[in-house]
Amino acid sequence: MTKRLYSLLIRFWFAAKMAGHGILANPLRSALTILGVAIGVTSVVSLMGIGEGARQAVVEQFESFGTNVIAIKAQDASVEFKPEEAEELVERVEGLEMATPVVNTKAVMRWRRARGYVNVIGVNSQFPQIRDHDVIAGHFFTRWHVMQRSPVAVLGYNMAVGLMGGRSPVGQTISLNGETYRIVGVLAAKGSGKAEGIDDKVVIPYTTAQKIAEKRTVEEIWGKAASSKEADLVVVQLGRIYKRKLGLDQSAPTPVTTEVEGGPPEAMMKAGMVKTVMKPGGDRPKKPSIPGGEDLITITNLNQLVKEADKANRVMTLLLGGIAAVSLLVGGLGIMNIMLVAVTERTEEIGVRRALGAKQADLLIQFLLEALYVSGIGAVAGIVAGIWGLNVFERYGFETAVSFQAVKTAAVIAIGCGLLFGVYPAVSASSVPPVEALRRQ
Amino acid sequence: MALLELKGIARSYKTGQIKVDALKGIDISIEEGDFISIMGPSGSGKSTLLNIIGCLDKPTSGTYEIAGRRVEKMTDGQLADIRNRLIGFVFQSFHLLPDLDAQANVELPLIYRGISGRERRKRAIAALESVGLGDRLHHLPSQLSGGEQQRVAIARAIVGDPAVILADEPTGALDSRSGENIMSIFRDLNHNQGKTIVQVTHEKSVARYGHKIFHLLDGEIERIEVVNDSISQEVRVK
Ligand SMILES: Nc1ncnc2c1ncn2[C@@H]1O[C@H](COP(=O)(O)OP(=O)(O)OP(=O)(O)O)[C@@H](O)[C@H]1O
Ligand SMILES: [Mg+2]
Repeated sequence: MTKRLYSLLIRFWFAAKMAGHGILANPLRSALTILGVAIGVTSVVSLMGIGEGARQAVVEQFESFGTNVIAIKAQDASVEFKPEEAEELVERVEGLEMATPVVNTKAVMRWRRARGYVNVIGVNSQFPQIRDHDVIAGHFFTRWHVMQRSPVAVLGYNMAVGLMGGRSPVGQTISLNGETYRIVGVLAAKGSGKAEGIDDKVVIPYTTAQKIAEKRTVEEIWGKAASSKEADLVVVQLGRIYKRKLGLDQSAPTPVTTEVEGGPPEAMMKAGMVKTVMKPGGDRPKKPSIPGGEDLITITNLNQLVKEADKANRVMTLLLGGIAAVSLLVGGLGIMNIMLVAVTERTEEIGVRRALGAKQADLLIQFLLEALYVSGIGAVAGIVAGIWGLNVFERYGFETAVSFQAVKTAAVIAIGCGLLFGVYPAVSASSVPPVEALRRQ
Repeated sequence: MALLELKGIARSYKTGQIKVDALKGIDISIEEGDFISIMGPSGSGKSTLLNIIGCLDKPTSGTYEIAGRRVEKMTDGQLADIRNRLIGFVFQSFHLLPDLDAQANVELPLIYRGISGRERRKRAIAALESVGLGDRLHHLPSQLSGGEQQRVAIARAIVGDPAVILADEPTGALDSRSGENIMSIFRDLNHNQGKTIVQVTHEKSVARYGHKIFHLLDGEIERIEVVNDSISQEVRVK
């Protein structure tokens, strides 16, 4: 038994060696075939890597908004929220854990001798929990600060670094529109462009911000749901509440799903994905909402945004991969072509081997292995080239990601191609009758 | 019991509408230790017969036993085993594998028998030495003369210690001196080692190395000639 196994092993090893000979016998031809496969694999790895990179970038972008965040936003000047509404909603809406009124405004900031416009955002003390911000120095302002309209500020990361270099600015003062604010904390960096550019903003109590903006109302409320499951329910409940409040029809609002387009997060939020849209007169929205159009409010579940964006990008990645796979298929056909040529060229060899006692299986394995070598070497070369190519892309500022899945897919497809397209030539090689093979020369 | 026993062997080829009877009922028995030559005009079926004896081809009808084993019903794999263990081939055009050196070519039958490297090497070298090529182990076929290539082929044929050596015009591609060299190796194999040899040839001088000459004509054995050292007797078959 072991002897039999051993002899099989010897024959297999020899077939493997002969397959190697087959490749080396015609180095240029083999190299070209390998190149064909390698190009296919490279394109799969690099295109999918680019797609995956784009996808991850968008997902990160959206994830920086925080989890289970719901944004209620006025889309029309006629609609405004009272700041107290935030707390009311938390009480009325099941699953809504926290909420903050949001005031976005600009102010002239003075710091020592420098001055300039800065973006100011006014929120309540729950803001860091709602939007998943960490405070890396000092602390966030408190409920008390908000109630007292205290002139306190928490700086975005870039803003803080800009003021004091590496040192903590906590305890320093800045002035906004001529009023002096004490810096009480610094937020952790979210990354450039992430979380609506929070890194470059000054965060102050909304009560104080209302003074700067010179209004009593707020244009936005951000809430946090207890879980992603509840976030969906919260959107529905909010829809109902606001419909009633705005005097629209009594039926539940229809969530509208619209395409997401690339662009800065602000724009994406406005373009809206899954959200409830209110229209005057109670007519049900049919078309995607147009920012600045007739919609009064949008209620957006940011989780949903992330999911939709992710899905859209996943489709793109697959599409890119699919296109690349075609070139891999062409590489596979190259293998088949070369193997068929090799088989006809080597009928004499096949006949001799058969005369000397090679079984069909010996030849089948030999030719199959030859095809596998070509595809295997091509796959490895292609993966290396693909990863290298992605690095080059990255240097030119593309977001890329070497996705393990793409590498795996490409390798499996390449080797699968080798097998698939190697089988037919190998079978035809092994099934030539020995006499025939010896006669043909 | 004869080593090779052919009864009523016929082989026909169909090419389109035309049917060619290459062999028409051959009855032969070849004993162990025989040295047989097959002669006949071109197209008389010599190669066809030799291929059937060598289990490279199957007869259309008739029975064939080699060392007591019936061949016609065997599977492809079993035939491969028979070829590997019982038969050594020598071809007119040598049929060495061009990528492999002399020793590797000679090792081939042993590889398909699953014999390990060290043993293989030992036996291949011994076989090459026995045909006088002990100093050409690592020459590629392209680096050897025709006569040398044919000697490598003989080494390859005998390395597996087969029951019978089959040679189809082994001297056909060689000049007369190399041819004589080859034939003296055959005679030595037959005489001193008792190897059974069946060869096809066109040359009377080559055929006379055998004990018997089968004369083939149109797919039938016309007569069997028994070769004596001095005179040759002829036996009429029909
Ligand atoms: N594969 C084949 N298909 C059709 N006919 C064949 C085939 N092989 C051989 N034949 C025919 O069978 C007959 C015998 O052929 P074979 O090769 O045995 O002759 P031979 O005696 O060896 O001739 P030569 O001395 O020229 O080698 C010939 O008529 C040949 O045309
Ligand atoms: Mg012939």
